[in-house]
Amino acid sequence: MFKGPGAPANQIHDFHSPISAEGLYWVAPVPASGLTISPDGKVATLEMSNVPIIDQPRWPAMDAETTPAYLDFKLVFKGREQPVKYEDPTRQYRFEGFTAEAQLEASVRVPSIDFLFKTDPLEESKCDFAGTEVNGKYYST
Amino acid sequence: MKSNMAIRPHLDRRRWLKLAFAFPATSILSRAVLNAQSEQQSCAPEIPQQHEPSNGGRCPFPIPWLDKNGNHNQPAMPNVELSSIYHFKGKLGRCSGFHGMGTDNKGNRLAWGTGTTDYSYMAGEYWAARQAHDGIFAHT
Repeated sequence: MFKGPGAPANQIHDFHSPISAEGLYWVAPVPASGLTISPDGKVATLEMSNVPIIDQPRWPAMDAETTPAYLDFKLVFKGREQPVKYEDPTRQYRFEGFTAEAQLEASVRVPSIDFLFKTDPLEESKCDFAGTEVNGKYYST
Repeated sequence: MKSNMAIRPHLDRRRWLKLAFAFPATSILSRAVLNAQSEQQSCAPEIPQQHEPSNGGRCPFPIPWLDKNGNHNQPAMPNVELSSIYHFKGKLGRCSGFHGMGTDNKGNRLAWGTGTTDYSYMAGEYWAARQAHDGIFAHT
């Protein structure tokens, strides 16, 4: 989040999940009710409330301090008709699915500094995919 | 046989100065070694005390080779690994490049997002602690 043009020097907040002990970056568990996929598999909606996250404005500095924050968001993927398949046997992954369009609306709260921010509704992103993937030990099974 | 100290009972000023500098350096070095040892100890897996099995943690772990910089935060694009989780099979949606505007609680309009601001879901089976687990995860 930036005060002024979107550039590192103007960054005033950086919201994300913490890095897990296993080294997984910015990934949070989702309750079963958080993800719904339409019967035809073309629309997926991920919606979560009060996700505990951190605000780390000086990320990626090693000593970037953190402040507890909370995230609400709704993310909607809509698959397009263009199928894609990405596979790399040397890296043991295979993704099969469709290009998609995604829209996100989110709000974040940092209670300790009385900060609340809400995005404009359903902003769009640029490079989106939805489908199925196998990797690692599941790649060749 | 006499020691060097006996031969030169009085350390000259230069030697005292060397010692004065050497002592804090040695002290800092010792602390660094101790810190490194304690960090290694905190990374050591727990020793089961009640004969429990030892299979590792059951949380998912990252793609080992995902990012040469080590931050495992590769934007979505064609022909790249889209999952954040290794040993995974299941449904996945990934999007990146979110950016836009929003409003804070003081009425300020602020820009958010960059070309690498990405979200994803991964819903399916992953392998950890030597067995399969079901789970849904979001990269936020």
